[in-house]
Amino acid sequence: MDNMAAKPDETILDEGIEKGAALLTDERIEKTILRVLNTEGGARIKVYVDTCVHCGLCAEACHYYLSHDNDPRFSPAGKVRQTLGEMIARKGKVDREFMKKAAEIAATQCNLCKRCAMYCPFGIDVAYLMSVVRRITHLLGMTPQYIQATAHSHSVSMNQMWVREDEWPDTLQWQEEEARSEMPKLRIPLEKEGADIMYSVIGPEPKFQAQLLYQAAILMNAAGVNWTMPATPGWDNSDMAMFTGDSELMGRIKRQHFETAARLKVKKIVMGECGHAFRSVYDTGNRWLGWKIPPIPIVHAIEFYYDLIKEGRIKIAQKYAEPVTLHDPCNVVRGGGLHEKARYVIRAICDNLIEMHPNREHNYCCCAGGGVINCGPPYKMARINGNRVKAEQLFAVKARGARTLIAPCHNCHSGLEDINHYYGLEMNVKFIGDILYQVMEKPE
Amino acid sequence: MDALYRFLSGPLAWVSFVVFIAGSLYRLLSMGFLVRRKEKFIFSVMSWKYSFRSIFHWITPFASVNMRRHPVMTITTFAFHICLFLTPIFLLAHGVLWDDAFNIHLWALPNGLADIMTLVVIAGGVFFLCRRMKLAEVRYLTTLSDYLLLIMVAAPFLTGFIAYHQWIDYRFFMTLHVLTGEIMLMAIPFTRLSHMLFAPFTRAYMGSEFGSVRHARDW
Amino acid sequence: MKKRRCFYLTAVVVMTLMSICCWRLPVAAQENMTSVDNGDFGRPERTPSIFRHDAHNEKAKIDACNTCHHVYKDGKLVDNESSEDRRCADCHDLKAVGKTPSLRRAFHLRCVGCHEKIGRGPIMCGECHKK
Repeated sequence: MDNMAAKPDETILDEGIEKGAALLTDERIEKTILRVLNTEGGARIKVYVDTCVHCGLCAEACHYYLSHDNDPRFSPAGKVRQTLGEMIARKGKVDREFMKKAAEIAATQCNLCKRCAMYCPFGIDVAYLMSVVRRITHLLGMTPQYIQATAHSHSVSMNQMWVREDEWPDTLQWQEEEARSEMPKLRIPLEKEGADIMYSVIGPEPKFQAQLLYQAAILMNAAGVNWTMPATPGWDNSDMAMFTGDSELMGRIKRQHFETAARLKVKKIVMGECGHAFRSVYDTGNRWLGWKIPPIPIVHAIEFYYDLIKEGRIKIAQKYAEPVTLHDPCNVVRGGGLHEKARYVIRAICDNLIEMHPNREHNYCCCAGGGVINCGPPYKMARINGNRVKAEQLFAVKARGARTLIAPCHNCHSGLEDINHYYGLEMNVKFIGDILYQVMEKPE
Repeated sequence: MDALYRFLSGPLAWVSFVVFIAGSLYRLLSMGFLVRRKEKFIFSVMSWKYSFRSIFHWITPFASVNMRRHPVMTITTFAFHICLFLTPIFLLAHGVLWDDAFNIHLWALPNGLADIMTLVVIAGGVFFLCRRMKLAEVRYLTTLSDYLLLIMVAAPFLTGFIAYHQWIDYRFFMTLHVLTGEIMLMAIPFTRLSHMLFAPFTRAYMGSEFGSVRHARDW
Repeated sequence: MKKRRCFYLTAVVVMTLMSICCWRLPVAAQENMTSVDNGDFGRPERTPSIFRHDAHNEKAKIDACNTCHHVYKDGKLVDNESSEDRRCADCHDLKAVGKTPSLRRAFHLRCVGCHEKIGRGPIMCGECHKK
């Protein structure tokens, strides 16, 4: 049936997939697939596969499909056909080469953004089916090596970036000291039991984006928030295990995060501008641990800024003048409904918001999320080529005057920077927090 | 031919109704039990309000973004499915069978309208067939079973149309009509025609997940 | 030439008229009957059912009129009485009344019901309601 010749540039050599695949036997593949399909998996896999009528209406939902000149292999259902569909049809009797391809498709050709769930007439969740494939490849030990390395880091250090236990408070104290030159009475309160808010961030912030901690500290102090940050592991809200299919590890990470907040007896957890972490603490990790909703309320940065501005706790000195546009991240918009709040915040701090199209729930993915950017350099061009449509969308909004691109999500931010550079967009990619820090009144 | 017709319209009609109803119940209940055993969280997500919000948006023509993107497909698929569903139930000739056999009276479509609706189903089937062969994103997903399903669905309408107009060999097409209709009915629970059973539930689940967890629209 | 054209024309007109007569007009006498009179249906959806009275009864070996032209009194079949002097619609309304079947159902049960029972005779819609 496959009448499409594979393009020469198509298969990317990944050490993690290759080395894992070298150890596979047909029996192990079969056993693992059947375990996931019949023991772990339930009705959703069966119903989705039985209900799909192969109509192809999901195709145009996918940025990979659109960016690859409507190549049907990149359509959501096309990806299922090449992976889980075939595994089910052959009852797990697939070979090593098939599994390598399946691992690559599931890990690097789908961002689990769930846009296609809004285009399928039946609401079939292809992102979920791709997660099932990732689960199988995880159990077969063939996850791409870069993202597997971050999962290892989670497992050992409970953070994504191998930040050592002493480095973490050290970094916070360093940023506290830096920020005190601007706001002399500023504190980053560590381990303050009974604070209203625990602020949690993702591993890359202390590792190489410490200025984000600085900005958050200025904001918290200016707004007079009763907040704290933990000095122990559990400060990292990120979760690459959710994306590798390592559900057990995901559970460990999320438990530690929630337990840290519980130990500090905070009323809620406020998290930085990260999308996947929101998905993990708000939707996926909590459910794995048996909580329908997070045991401690989760407030994403967008919602937190919204509350601060609405309540007048932050005053704007002078609005950001350069015209901005907003990229709606899948995990907080399609996954959390924060699109109108984000617009409220941006209108409060910026003079001119120019909408890109499509927007809100229908925005195109950044092509970095879902763990794809975490699969590292081998797949950088796959991400960039796989999201030409994003560049086209951004060029269109730039033509209408937008110069700054706001992306309130770490993965989106990094992915859009790559798009920005490669396609020569020359836009300024910023977090909402970057602009908020810049335009807010900072009391002495 | 008479003996065959008698068998098809007698015992096999009963068999096909029993297979259809019992098979559908079996599929739905077994999926329900599977959800209870493996994915209980689904029940916690489900919401009547958001289920119907989503279903309403997807059974209303042009109420979703994707429907507006494909107007010809949207019109065809709505016309096809509405006619596919209503014609057999409200066809006068079928109503007469219910009336004669069980003294059950059903409202019936005028013959002329039913004739047009049958043509709509056949034309819709031809459209889907062309789409399947022409569009790369559909062709890529297509397996032999997709063609067989299409034939299976179109056959009772095509044979019924020929028989109604008494073209060619009436008795042959009448017999074939009953047979193909019964095959289709029995196939519903056990082939991908089961989207008829499951679509309301997959839609309701996605609607509930988007509504009550994600606070976003799913259309 | 002209004569011949006239002849053809006349022939065609006569044949057409004859066939319309045979097809459309209900024939009063039973021996000439070719179809069931469906005039009581208002706007019938189907063609009148083909029925050659005498040929049918000869073939089916039906002697007693009340095999079909029956009489019911108080829900019970009355032996030795027949109703060929009346129209079916005199008893059978378009809609069923109590235990009395509707006119359409009465016709169908009378014809197809019997054919089903004895295993002979047409049972498919279009075998009687010819286009």
